[in-house]
Amino acid sequence: MSYSAGASLPPPSRDLSRSCAVVGLGETDYRQDYQAAREAARNRDPDYRPCTPEGLALKAFERALDDSGLQRKDIDGLSVSFLYGGPDARSTANLLGVQPRQFVDSIGIMAGPLPAACAAIAQGKCDTVALVYAVATRAQGRKFGGALHRENAAPASYYYYHPWGWSSQAAHWAFAWQHYMATYGVTEEDLASVAIQMRRNAMATDHAIMHKPLTMEDYLASRYVVRPLHLYDLCLVNDGGVCLILRRADMSSGLPHSPVLLGGWGEAVVGCNKMDTLVRHRLRPQFQEAGRQALDMAGLTLSDVQHFECYDASTNHLVNHLEGHGFTAPGEGLEFCKSGEMAVGGSLPVNTAGGMLSGSYMHGWNHVAEITRQLRHEAGPRQIEGVEVSMFSLAQTDRVHPLIFMRGNSP
Amino acid sequence: MTTTRPDRILGPGHDEFWNWCARGELRLQCCDDCAELAWPVVQSCEHCGSNSFQWQAMTGKGTLVSWCRFDHDYYKGLLDMPYWTILVELDEGPLFVSNPLSIPEEELALGLAVSLAFQDCEDAGGAFKLPVFKKT
Ligand SMILES: [Zn+2]
Repeated sequence: MSYSAGASLPPPSRDLSRSCAVVGLGETDYRQDYQAAREAARNRDPDYRPCTPEGLALKAFERALDDSGLQRKDIDGLSVSFLYGGPDARSTANLLGVQPRQFVDSIGIMAGPLPAACAAIAQGKCDTVALVYAVATRAQGRKFGGALHRENAAPASYYYYHPWGWSSQAAHWAFAWQHYMATYGVTEEDLASVAIQMRRNAMATDHAIMHKPLTMEDYLASRYVVRPLHLYDLCLVNDGGVCLILRRADMSSGLPHSPVLLGGWGEAVVGCNKMDTLVRHRLRPQFQEAGRQALDMAGLTLSDVQHFECYDASTNHLVNHLEGHGFTAPGEGLEFCKSGEMAVGGSLPVNTAGGMLSGSYMHGWNHVAEITRQLRHEAGPRQIEGVEVSMFSLAQTDRVHPLIFMRGNSP
Repeated sequence: MTTTRPDRILGPGHDEFWNWCARGELRLQCCDDCAELAWPVVQSCEHCGSNSFQWQAMTGKGTLVSWCRFDHDYYKGLLDMPYWTILVELDEGPLFVSNPLSIPEEELALGLAVSLAFQDCEDAGGAFKLPVFKKT
């Protein structure tokens, strides 16, 4: 198995651990924007103005700047992630009203932008980077499968199977879940526990999109998208923006909030046998390798992690993260969820703001936003008491890139 | 009966694959340098980077690794809904995404022995034979 192909992050280094901190956080109004879009579609409202990447980015940035207590002139680095199209970095700087001396290249989806910004800061290219992300996924009517549209490119991994009608990210998770069910003798009811837990978490989160209680009956009655996966097994599609302000750690005290230190990162990429690695091994070799890198960089072990945020593209993929990193043995992730261990108050709270299944689909940026709130001890009713170390794990179908965060000193 | 399918990817390498199918054979690229089989079609070997291949004939035997039913119509009316797809481990090793041919839903199971068949299909590139699998 190869881990080096297509690496996109700077190499993990102990020298960089804790060298930077998240000092500012801004998110758009996921819930209100989602409801407004649905309302407008229902009423065919001609005056409705859909979200734009520019508008979302600006709102997230202004909130993050305000949250950080810094001024526009303090922002000397900019990292721009418009995953589905938006202005270039220089135009974005104009839009936000900042004059960065460093533009940090970014791969967009979370994990990548933070290590890249951290490396730029360590190299002295800048001290304070605004990382801006926005997607108008829903407003642009983006589709997640089906025939190829050139302007709407998706991973090549599934184009090849079009003649057999096999398409979409959901199909990857469906194959992996069907194999898992047959291997471990678990059922759809078992998997429902993940969707239900994520919904409970979202209900304790003001800005999460889904607040309506989800019952086992609702889950089982919901339509299949790619059977055995139900609608509630797959992440939301919504518009939004997130801005994080990352600053040199030694310049991060005396600001309004506790700094959230970036402790480590890792990356492992599937080199070959992609389908086998995903369906039968559920990326476990990559989770193990990338997780070890990130924890080593931070000088921590898995047992130090008190809060886990992971890329829940689907309910069973959330379980892949849990088992892959070794929080539970393979085949035991659903029992872990059913016994309440993933809830706040359990042994490892997971996706405490509802993740992407019930919270907001922000490509992992939403998870880092929640880590920031938890480690600041500002998560309100869902606060994990005394949390000091959080782990984020992103995994697409063929790569894993986790991040480790820890609470810095109080302001 | 010929059924219309979403378009194949065609071009160098891909055409050879479909030409073998047209003759009723499932052949995959086998690397001249490291002897690994490749699927889907590659331009260079994922294992060693070589771009020299032989088209090796598969026996057409395999076992079921996974299966899923498409209820969401990703292809906008092109295919009869819902429909099943399967993941077959060929006896030679590679995993092959395909469709079941006349396998009852309740018989889909891990390790089910399956054998190659071909189905007459067409897409924008013309008529072609699609490799599918029936119960052995
Ligand atoms: Zn080779």
